[in-house]
Amino acid sequence: MIVDFSLIIDSIPKMLTGLSLTLQLLFVSAFLGTILAIILLLMRISGRWYLQWPAVVYIYIFRGTPILVQIFIIYHGLPQFEFIRTSIFWPILREPYGCAILALSLNTGAYVSEILRGGILGVPRGLHEAGSALGLSVRQRFIYITTPIAVRLAIPAYSNDIVSLMKATALASTITLLDMMGIARTIVADTFAPYEVFISLAVIYMILTLIIQKSFGWFERYMSRYLKKEA
Amino acid sequence: MKKTAILTLATMAFALGGMFQTAAAETLRVGMECTYAPFNFKTAAGELDGYDVDVAKGVAKIVGADLKFVCQKWDGMIPALLANKFDLVIASMSITEKRLKKMDFSKPYRISVGRLVGKKNANMKLFDDTGKPIAANFAGLKVGLGRATTYASWFEAKLPKANVVFYDSSDAMYIDLVNGRTDMIMTNPMKAFLKFLSKKDGAGFEFVSPQIDEQKFFGTGVGIGLRKGNEALLKRLNAAVVQLSTDGSLEKYALKYFPFAIHNQKMVP
Repeated sequence: MIVDFSLIIDSIPKMLTGLSLTLQLLFVSAFLGTILAIILLLMRISGRWYLQWPAVVYIYIFRGTPILVQIFIIYHGLPQFEFIRTSIFWPILREPYGCAILALSLNTGAYVSEILRGGILGVPRGLHEAGSALGLSVRQRFIYITTPIAVRLAIPAYSNDIVSLMKATALASTITLLDMMGIARTIVADTFAPYEVFISLAVIYMILTLIIQKSFGWFERYMSRYLKKEA
Repeated sequence: MKKTAILTLATMAFALGGMFQTAAAETLRVGMECTYAPFNFKTAAGELDGYDVDVAKGVAKIVGADLKFVCQKWDGMIPALLANKFDLVIASMSITEKRLKKMDFSKPYRISVGRLVGKKNANMKLFDDTGKPIAANFAGLKVGLGRATTYASWFEAKLPKANVVFYDSSDAMYIDLVNGRTDMIMTNPMKAFLKFLSKKDGAGFEFVSPQIDEQKFFGTGVGIGLRKGNEALLKRLNAAVVQLSTDGSLEKYALKYFPFAIHNQKMVP
């Protein structure tokens, strides 16, 4: 096989024009997904069955099905219903961008809520007892003791999820969005050169992954700064 | 009296036989898939029918030859022609540069065009009377196109500012049109009719543009293929195609399957 370097040099800038869409999909869904995850988490640890149950079912459904299926159901499936096309949500659901954000947020929300729950379960029981011995209320213990420790414990898994989410944004190209993947697919369809184009694209995604990993590594060190002093 | 009658009959039979012989002097064997409805296919009764078949019969009548149909799989069509398994390919084969290196083609008996499909009664005035697109009237409209198709190239060249989205499957493209995600799509009008407009889903939709037949984008069309070096036959085929076009036969053949003509109506001899 002869690698066509001029094609690589030509196609990388073209694919990078989709970078802003890829990053938008990543950041907006990560933000909305994390808010959703916190709500789901609070529902799960509320101790009230009518809050716990819906959260458990929701998380099970969204972790139990492929994200591509979720995207297709939201994009192709929902408009089959007349009431959705006449609803106030249609301006969002009409656009593939809205559908992609919705699907990615709902999906990542389910995963992140489990990650955060893992963090909370990892907080040693003794700290709770110490807190209550100091006269802190349940709410105060949750905010000042549980949360900071849980967040620190959850960071590695959370950064993993953000990397997964970043890669999942490529699926938005299946619903006509021209993110980096969508542009790459168009270039491939024009040039019949999948190797050059997709390998270049893979390198771009790997660089993004590296940036995400490094940022979270820094954040983790920042959150654990007091541990370092002890060491 | 009886003798005369017998004689007459004999003469007639002889004459008929003679006629038959002159006609049978040339038999054109025609290759086609026989499975490509509505262009060439077998009816429930086992008869060959379709637009290509009608064209073959029409051409044979004009050039005064007998016909013999040979069913051949698509991937072996050109090799079979070159190996003299049949004389003509009348199988909806598009005339392309690549194929012209190996074989000759008659003038097209069907053209390759693109056409826009959109909502009925949307009153989008997208094209002026000469058939040129009015770019300003495409503003705010979303157009669905197949990824890396000739239609996509046409839009890029003619309406670079139009809001276009690309699809990998025509099904997804039609679904989004029906769901109102796009305002129109551009595709092959025959496919649009067979797959969409003639179906329940396509009921509220219609063609919103004239046939766009720019050869630079869509190619010359579909012609009768033959081996190289048959100049005399090629001339006769060309004349026959032109005649079928001018006498309205091609339109008649098309109207059996489509509500519009599918040949070049501006064909000149």
